[in-house]
Amino acid sequence: MNALSLAIPVLQVAAIAALAPLLQGAMKSLRARLQGRPGPSPVQPYRDLVKLWGKEALLPEGASPVTIAAPGVVLGVVLAFAAGLPLGPRNALDPLADAVALVLLLALGRFALLLAALDTRSSFGGMAASREATFGALVEPALLFSLFGAAALSGGTKISALNALPFSPASVLAFAAFFLVALAETARVPVDNQETHYELTMVHEGLLLEYSGWQLALLHGAAYVKQFAFLLLGGLLLPGQAWWAHLGWALAMACGITFVETALAKLRLFEVPQVLGTAFILAATGIGLRLIGGTP
Amino acid sequence: MRALGVAATAAVALAAALLGGLALAHGGAPLGAFQGPIPALALVFGVTPLGAVFCLLLALLDAAVALWSVERGSALDAVLIAAFSAAMLLVLCAQSVAVFFFAWEAMALVSAFIIATHHERRSVRRATALYLLVSQTGAACVLVALALLAYQAGSPSFGLIARSAGSLPAGTRNAVLAFALLGFGSKAGFVPLHFWLPRAHPVAPPHASALLSGGMLKVALYGLATVTLTLAAPAPLAWGIAIVAIGTAGAVAGVLYAMVDRDLKRLLAYSSVENAGIVAIGLGATLAAGAERLPDVAALALTAALFHAFNHGLFKALLFLGAGAVADSEGTVDLEKLGGLRGHMVWTAPAFLIGCAAIAGLPPFNGFASEWLIFRSLAAELVARDPAAKVAMLGAIAGLALAGGLAVACFARVYGIAFLGKPRRKQTKPPERERGGVPAAALVLLAALCTLFGFLPGLALGPLGRVAATVLHVPPPAFPTLPVLPVTLALLPLAGALAALALARRRGVRSVPTWTCGSPVTPAAAYTATAFAKPLRRIFAFVLAPESRRTLEGGDSRWFPQRIVYQTDSRYLVDETARRFAALTLRVVRRSRLVQSGSLRLYLAYAVAALILTVVAAR
Repeated sequence: MNALSLAIPVLQVAAIAALAPLLQGAMKSLRARLQGRPGPSPVQPYRDLVKLWGKEALLPEGASPVTIAAPGVVLGVVLAFAAGLPLGPRNALDPLADAVALVLLLALGRFALLLAALDTRSSFGGMAASREATFGALVEPALLFSLFGAAALSGGTKISALNALPFSPASVLAFAAFFLVALAETARVPVDNQETHYELTMVHEGLLLEYSGWQLALLHGAAYVKQFAFLLLGGLLLPGQAWWAHLGWALAMACGITFVETALAKLRLFEVPQVLGTAFILAATGIGLRLIGGTP
Repeated sequence: MRALGVAATAAVALAAALLGGLALAHGGAPLGAFQGPIPALALVFGVTPLGAVFCLLLALLDAAVALWSVERGSALDAVLIAAFSAAMLLVLCAQSVAVFFFAWEAMALVSAFIIATHHERRSVRRATALYLLVSQTGAACVLVALALLAYQAGSPSFGLIARSAGSLPAGTRNAVLAFALLGFGSKAGFVPLHFWLPRAHPVAPPHASALLSGGMLKVALYGLATVTLTLAAPAPLAWGIAIVAIGTAGAVAGVLYAMVDRDLKRLLAYSSVENAGIVAIGLGATLAAGAERLPDVAALALTAALFHAFNHGLFKALLFLGAGAVADSEGTVDLEKLGGLRGHMVWTAPAFLIGCAAIAGLPPFNGFASEWLIFRSLAAELVARDPAAKVAMLGAIAGLALAGGLAVACFARVYGIAFLGKPRRKQTKPPERERGGVPAAALVLLAALCTLFGFLPGLALGPLGRVAATVLHVPPPAFPTLPVLPVTLALLPLAGALAALALARRRGVRSVPTWTCGSPVTPAAAYTATAFAKPLRRIFAFVLAPESRRTLEGGDSRWFPQRIVYQTDSRYLVDETARRFAALTLRVVRRSRLVQSGSLRLYLAYAVAALILTVVAAR
């Protein structure tokens, strides 16, 4: 392990964390343009984060240490997730580049948020937690299958193998499945709505309802980082020679998500399983193609 | 009497630790053989490397349970538990058919006494009867499987049976495997023979439940592993695939039922069904990999299965003891009545949180390490040539992923509803702060073990890998990334948690009322456990078949009732089938009563006919 192999993940995390709010702002801005509104500036999320960071935090009376620690846990989870992406040459955090480990790591972040939301003892927190738990359970098989396509052939769970794959119908299917999963995991229409101000329809926002000030800044920052890192992970599913090719696919997916958000309305809660089920079937078909074909 | 029980349990723990350690260090520990007048009933004792793993688990569980029994539970419980532990240890030390069957039956009977502890309740008596029925039927299947093996090998000693296992005729091998799967699978809670488990395990005292789910389930899995991996080895591919499929069904169904249950202890019992399924997936993958000539994958899968069995023993015992502490403090384990336990249960709450995180497979606790390893071995097995094996492994990966996601939901629900937030019931006086002391030490011990094996899975992987290698006669598996994985994953989240706590201390967090749109904050506004599970109950209605009733009471108009009662219940599909089967059996039995007229001459005629038939058949 030399200095470079340690520096790469640090640089990678720093870059992803620094640019994540910009991606969020750009997506919001693009969505507003598509809807014929001028929309906020792409750098607005930075301003929001700075403003929130300067404010004091309020929590319900008798909040548990779990609730106080949760924003830190969630931020740590997404930073570790970003560090594990095999974008560059092999780095010191190579063991993290593992499909199962990354999926279970995200589950840790979700667990912390669910507990924090249930701790508030409000119906809104409980309702959002219930929905998030449901989506989380349904997302896992689809997400794992879309990541497993490449790893399965080599008989492992490493996602660093994704880098070396040639273009094939199977990778397109895996990418399509990942796209549907990404809609749920980044709290987008038709699964969730980031713009809603109505507590009864909130899922991700509902989990954060009782947070404010600098704690909310941590959680918003974590959500931005997760979104960027998650899209980058999806970008790895399509072939490319270097990190910028994967970044390109990730940005294409971001545009796709914005189009979907403009074109579709939010689905009923009980129709979301069909979206995630479709994702699972697409991913399973992709794996099936690879296993039958025997070639990547 | 209590002192006697505690001392005996501790002695069993010590003996199990010594035997397990010895057998692990020397690759098996023969303890002696007694050749009686009847060769078929020879008594052979010894601990195999496979048994050693379970001996060590039993030692840890017994240590925790002995600590618990010092102050909690009745004196009779303590004695029964010592006897139960001794019977389980005897099963693990049995190396011939007679000893094994005697120990197995002793274990079943003593556990039935433990389950019947609260026999004044009708439901407990029914659960005990059901347990005895399934247990005795299962024992009969185990006896048939072992007798077939002993007959073929010409010796009741497990060592000799294993040596001649390769020459078993295909028909006998399949029969042995089928009976073993029925016998051991019913005890281990494999779907669909699990229906007794969620009724019988939770009604026992908490430390007994801990041993039933943490220990006896594992002994049953040990039995199945012994028969499939050594006594009747090598198992055909189809059996490996079948066990993987049964395990997948159990993992998903178990956690689904756990998700919708509101009784904390029954929920934990359902989660045992899930985890038995996960271990079964690992065991089935071992058999399939062996049949597909993938020795390194087989070793990996067996290590994963053993590790998960070991880990499940630890965290399930922790959770059952925690549920016992909750029951002692609150007088109920109904999730709808619990809330805010964190406030006064200062020892149980943190330990229970570790148990919940571990059972949900979250890094850096031990459940993560073993679930990761199971995923890893299933992925490795996708290179199998047989298409059915590939499909089974893919199905298991999907099922395991779904079960993992559901387990996160299920245990976030348990902890969030019962331990966090505020109490749900009006309290006349503030609840008493939980005392530390010996029972709390049991919880702390188990929580520490869950964390230790989570952070440093390498501690267990080395010995377990060597056991798998000895059992399968292959070189020990390599674990390239797992030993460092939990630390790498958990470093940033842990640092984040500490930083967030430190920041909150430095910058301060102002307390305000919860936002309820301006209406008063009452416990009634809190989300209930039933409501939390509603989306999943609806989505998986084809499995759970929920029934709900809503009744409006009082008021002049149906639009303005004074009270709305909402009740929901899940029907268990397997139960319905079992009930039909029982009804059919009863009908058949009633019909067959015709031959029992009570006339002595008729019975003599039966005896003569049987004798003639036997003579004819024997010729």
